[in-house]
Amino acid sequence: MKKAVLAFVFFISSMHTTAQQAQEVLDGVIKNYEKVKDYQADVHIVADISFIRILPMNARIYFKQPDKMRIVSKGIAILPRQGFDLMYRSITDKNSFTVVPQGNELLEGVQVQVISLLPLSDTMEVIIAKFWIDPQRHVIMKSQITTRTNGTIAAAYSYGSFATYGLPDQMTFWVDVKKFKIPKAVAADLNNNEKKEQPKGKDPNKGKIAITLSNYIINKGVPDKIFQEK
Amino acid sequence: MLAIIQTELVKIASRPRSYIGFAAITIIVSIIHLAMAEDGISYLGFITQSFEQSFFMEGKILNGNLVCFIILQTLIIQVPLLVALVTGDLVSGEAASGTIRFLTTRPVSRTQVLLSKFAAGGIYTLLLLLWLGILALAGGLLIFGNGDLVVLKSDELVILQQDEVLWRFMAALGAAFVALLLIASFSMLLSCYSDNSIGPIISTMAVIILFTIIGTMDIPLFDKIKPFLFTTHMVVWKSFFDNPVPTTQIWQSMIIMVLHIAGFTCLALFHFNRKDILS
Amino acid sequence: MIEKIIETRNLCKSYGSFVAVDNLNFEVYPGDVYGFLGPNGAGKSTTIRMLLTLIRPNSGEIMMFGKPLSKNRSFILSRTGSIVEKPDFYKYLTAENNVRLFAKLSGYQVTEKRIAEIFELVGLKGREKDKAKAYSHGMKQRLGLAQALIHDPDLIILDEPTTGLDPQGIIDIRNLITHLSSDLKKTILLSSHILSEIEIIASRMVIIHNGKSIVEGKVTELLDTSDLVVSFQVSDMEPALREIAASDWQKFLSEKKDGKLVFHLSQKQVALLNSFLCEKGIAVTAIESKKKLEDYFLQLISKN
Repeated sequence: MKKAVLAFVFFISSMHTTAQQAQEVLDGVIKNYEKVKDYQADVHIVADISFIRILPMNARIYFKQPDKMRIVSKGIAILPRQGFDLMYRSITDKNSFTVVPQGNELLEGVQVQVISLLPLSDTMEVIIAKFWIDPQRHVIMKSQITTRTNGTIAAAYSYGSFATYGLPDQMTFWVDVKKFKIPKAVAADLNNNEKKEQPKGKDPNKGKIAITLSNYIINKGVPDKIFQEK
Repeated sequence: MLAIIQTELVKIASRPRSYIGFAAITIIVSIIHLAMAEDGISYLGFITQSFEQSFFMEGKILNGNLVCFIILQTLIIQVPLLVALVTGDLVSGEAASGTIRFLTTRPVSRTQVLLSKFAAGGIYTLLLLLWLGILALAGGLLIFGNGDLVVLKSDELVILQQDEVLWRFMAALGAAFVALLLIASFSMLLSCYSDNSIGPIISTMAVIILFTIIGTMDIPLFDKIKPFLFTTHMVVWKSFFDNPVPTTQIWQSMIIMVLHIAGFTCLALFHFNRKDILS
Repeated sequence: MIEKIIETRNLCKSYGSFVAVDNLNFEVYPGDVYGFLGPNGAGKSTTIRMLLTLIRPNSGEIMMFGKPLSKNRSFILSRTGSIVEKPDFYKYLTAENNVRLFAKLSGYQVTEKRIAEIFELVGLKGREKDKAKAYSHGMKQRLGLAQALIHDPDLIILDEPTTGLDPQGIIDIRNLITHLSSDLKKTILLSSHILSEIEIIASRMVIIHNGKSIVEGKVTELLDTSDLVVSFQVSDMEPALREIAASDWQKFLSEKKDGKLVFHLSQKQVALLNSFLCEKGIAVTAIESKKKLEDYFLQLISKN
């Protein structure tokens, strides 16, 4: 009996310890983020969505603590509706989520810790958020966030020289997309009844957006008016 | 020949009817500009609502290029009507008014007379199209500014970068000109068979409307007929807003349209040269 | 020197089973004012339209200025001016611009001076700038002449040129035709229903009926003054008839009608018959000569 109680207490305390470790891993990521008061960078966006044909796009991203973000492009850029800012908000909002460690994985040759965040409230937009974190560099390698209204957004991150700030060189998002249809009267292909074939290997229900970041300028100041301009 | 073309242009320019087309285009373009300025955002919201849950478009979607593209949709029905209003009357109007007697008793051949009318009709068509292009594009850019063009198709979007857009508009207007020349030649052919002004104009429009309706209906029987309808090829200008541009399809349609123009013109020449002028 | 300005050889035109022109032959010489006569539906307008290439003949040949029309259309029409039926113009253009336009189509570089000249010639001086739609019917006829003459043609074909004109207008046109013929040495082919006009101004003529030429030649020769139709009104018919029956004058008597005796006589014989009747004591109360061309025309038509 004693042994069983001891084993149970040991188990609970080890669980608590694991969750604590997971939180520490998350804190390491947060600490990285907090190093960055503001940044701006060039972004190159490649959207691969079944019903959108768009050439790769260049833009400029601006960020300022705590949550100001703006992408300025000369033309039209396609971005995931719930992007990396959702990830950041989920991680830093300690009071709204429970941290659940999910063990370790080998991801691109790196030993990562898999941590899930479960919302404490039933009404939150996020249903579950899962992160693959490199505990050495304190960066998120992969994320998967399931939301109530926007389905699941999966993302992969790769880092270069700005890993110490937690700023990736490359981000790739996979989003759920619905079938696109607009009335023919509005459409430009009024007389065109060609049946378009779906390219092979392409999931019509998933869209992919790859963003490459470069030329970071970190903590050099970003004027507030950039976030106000439309 | 140039002298005859000049006289035909003077005749076209002197008729009040010739300005209906320019006035109509001005009104149509102004109305669309006004409507888009007022309600363009909600119009686009209607379009984008199907995907905005998953991602959003950053940038100026409502811009002069998009508005111009919307205006060019009038090339399907309205502008052909405005062209036929003038070109359908070029021969039959002379027969109705009796001036064809004076025209065909001159030392110029009937071939020269008809080709001059066709050339003058072509110049009128070009001017009408240029007016549409200038109002739609220049006016749109002035009011709404520049930006990438979002081409709305029934099951996909094509987004073209603004640096790419101008040459596409130019090429599209070029293709549209060939399409309108086809209308001009067809209406002139009907004009050669008629002694009244209104018949060829209405007949041309009736044919365009009928062929367009057949072309848009998804009925298997009609699918076999569609490749042979000239209205199917008249909308090839839209292909310049695809990415990549389907050059083979465009060339095919252009060749078919040119063959139609040549065929209609040859038929008109044959009939006009042989007919007895009794009016 | 061209021998004939117009020559048709077995010219034929049919519309289905209806034969509009049937082996028509006629000739127009330089300087002629050539009358083209015939009842309605005789084929006059059809023939004129064939001369002007508005209609293609089914067979036969047309020579103009010594050349076949089918192969020399441009050359021939550059030297020809015409009015075919009612002249119509571009209503939205001024009279002047209408004439300029047609001159341009004839390959003629028209000057302001020429415009003024022509408008004065046809009696429209001062009305050049009016829109054609403001012109009356008579003015349009004159404008029709202006467009026919603007390029100084050698041959002028006029189809009913005096239609709709007032008496003064008719005289003006007659004088103009005479001026064009005698002073400017133009050749004129003139189709008209007003027989008196043809009689006065035409030098040669053809009468056609049912598409065929009935008679052609010089007006003076065809309207032989040796064959006048003269009616004598006498006070006493019976004695007059007795005297005539007993004399050589009987063979000249064609009919007795309404107290009148109608003879076919030469001009000289009118006086002689008058003297004869007077000698015989027959009072002649009136002598009347019928319209020559009209009578001749009706006579020919009724024969055919």
